[in-house]
Amino acid sequence: MSQAQAQNPADAIRDPRPPQFPPLPERDLVFEVEQFLYREARLLDQERYEEWLGLMTEDIHYWMPGVQARFRNDTSSGPLIERMAFYDDDLLNLRRRVTRFMHATAWAEDPPTRACHIINNVEVELTDNAREYRVYSTFVNCRGRNEAEETWMAGRRTDLLRRDETGALRLARREIHITQAVLLAKNLNVFL
Amino acid sequence: MTVQVQQEEWARPSAQALREMVDVGRGRISPRIFWDEAIYRLELERIFARCWIFVAHESQIPNPGDFLTTTIGEDGVIVSRANDGQVKVLLNACPHRGNRVCFAEAGNARRFTCNYHGWAFGRDGAFLGMPAEEIYEKTCPDFDKSELGLIQARVAGYKGLLFATFDPEAPTLDEFLGDYRWYLDVLLDNDEGGTEFLTGNIKSWIDCNWKVPAENFVGDSLHAQWTHNSGAVAMLGMGVGKAKQDSVYQANVNGHGMQFGFDMVGNAMTLGEPEVVQYIREREAIMAERLGKLRSRMVGAMGSATLFPNFSFLAGLNTVRTWNPRGPHRTELHTWVLVNKNAPDSIKEKYRKGVMRTFSPSGTLEMDDGENWEAATRTAAGVVARRQKLHYSLGLHSQVEHEELPGNVHQRKFNDSNQRAFYGRWLDLLCAETWSNLPEGR
Repeated sequence: MSQAQAQNPADAIRDPRPPQFPPLPERDLVFEVEQFLYREARLLDQERYEEWLGLMTEDIHYWMPGVQARFRNDTSSGPLIERMAFYDDDLLNLRRRVTRFMHATAWAEDPPTRACHIINNVEVELTDNAREYRVYSTFVNCRGRNEAEETWMAGRRTDLLRRDETGALRLARREIHITQAVLLAKNLNVFL
Repeated sequence: MTVQVQQEEWARPSAQALREMVDVGRGRISPRIFWDEAIYRLELERIFARCWIFVAHESQIPNPGDFLTTTIGEDGVIVSRANDGQVKVLLNACPHRGNRVCFAEAGNARRFTCNYHGWAFGRDGAFLGMPAEEIYEKTCPDFDKSELGLIQARVAGYKGLLFATFDPEAPTLDEFLGDYRWYLDVLLDNDEGGTEFLTGNIKSWIDCNWKVPAENFVGDSLHAQWTHNSGAVAMLGMGVGKAKQDSVYQANVNGHGMQFGFDMVGNAMTLGEPEVVQYIREREAIMAERLGKLRSRMVGAMGSATLFPNFSFLAGLNTVRTWNPRGPHRTELHTWVLVNKNAPDSIKEKYRKGVMRTFSPSGTLEMDDGENWEAATRTAAGVVARRQKLHYSLGLHSQVEHEELPGNVHQRKFNDSNQRAFYGRWLDLLCAETWSNLPEGR
């Protein structure tokens, strides 16, 4: 925080500044989006990757930037698209990953990884495009491997959901931020 | 400031015991070297605190004040570009109470100020000042600001790569690398503009001993078609190609090694980006002029390499990584993408994405490695497993003379020769108390 923003706490409490949130969308839409995200998570937990890919739009951008611990005053501290990433995929490359997951010689998937995607804090915002919604959510992901290996990750997601011609929701953009700057695991064999 | 190298008092494994564990002549190695705490401590002392360790690429810190933090063994260091443009490698530990001085992993700083009591150090590591300095002047009889800088390592570069050593007696970097520079040039000098790292890095933990991945990259061509079959199917639509074994090689110098063929684009193809393959093919004549015809055909070819002890790369795939020890059973993997500085932006972008989807924690090839490396380490906890001597004798008598290839050259990539050379160097360093005790000619 810069010096200019520093304010005596006693003065600050006399000048409350509540956040300006956009108006809430209809409850039905929020419910529909939540169910979309929960069902998507279950497809991943059950390794139903073909169906999961079917939820993507053709122009899907699935992005999980690398995380760096930089100083606050570092103007380049935010996630930048040109930096190295965990995922920065279009549909072809999501498909390539699924091809490996499903292959009989993906040794690190056999016995299978036991994944649990816990999705929470779902918020839906309308956008300028009536067919598109911005959706915020958080997740906790737990993976169990072999007998006693366990890996946890938590993070935030910003999605763009788009209604297709049939009226079904599809995932068009996903941005994933995990809390770990060093991934505390040997691999990332899971979609988030 | 610099510090004298001192031998700490503790029970080191004897040279005789180490030689019984690592029989390079027969190609037999005890799993104990992947598990035992005392061996690990000796590695930190006699390998990581002595050898030239890769710390940064010049392109990561182009301007004065640019810095990054990394580790040499388990010693944290700041790699800093000083005002005069020189690169300094500074121990990231305050001489006052030992607190970490810089907590960010990269950025630009005017100075490094300790959060604990405010001691401040310049971009060159020199002591700048502290709060209540006058009290120190009055009450510390031996107060001398010139002695209070951060401990500095020696720094040297090779074609963009920066290395550091905390050992004043270590040979020069050029001597340390020796003829391995001929092989490094495949990666670093196939274009007149030199190389750069793309921005960012990916770091991850693998619960394996650091030598397991280092030896994998130094010469384990054999694992590729088995371990990575699923990744190859995903990226190429078929399994890993089989090379004719009589026209492919392993070579090593001072424990550094590379296994390679002359297929031009085998590694590069795995990125799943046809434009990168085309970029390499189009430049064949230019590369041949720089590197000679034979060596130019290694630029994107199938193979892998480790620069002793913990810097590895895949030419053509252009992933560059270090295996940083975090205890005997944990490795912190740092990875970057290296590109030719003069390559078109569109090619750099293809490399960034291609490396991510093959050799990163989410990569279709790397994902299957970690599992093997963790288990290969973990089994060494067992008494009976530790009695087993692991089999490293593939290609025991495969050394050949080659008119162009320098170093110890071995025919056939399905070969443990580079692994044996890696552990031979490891053994020499662990057994030698000083650099002058080290045998010549590995």
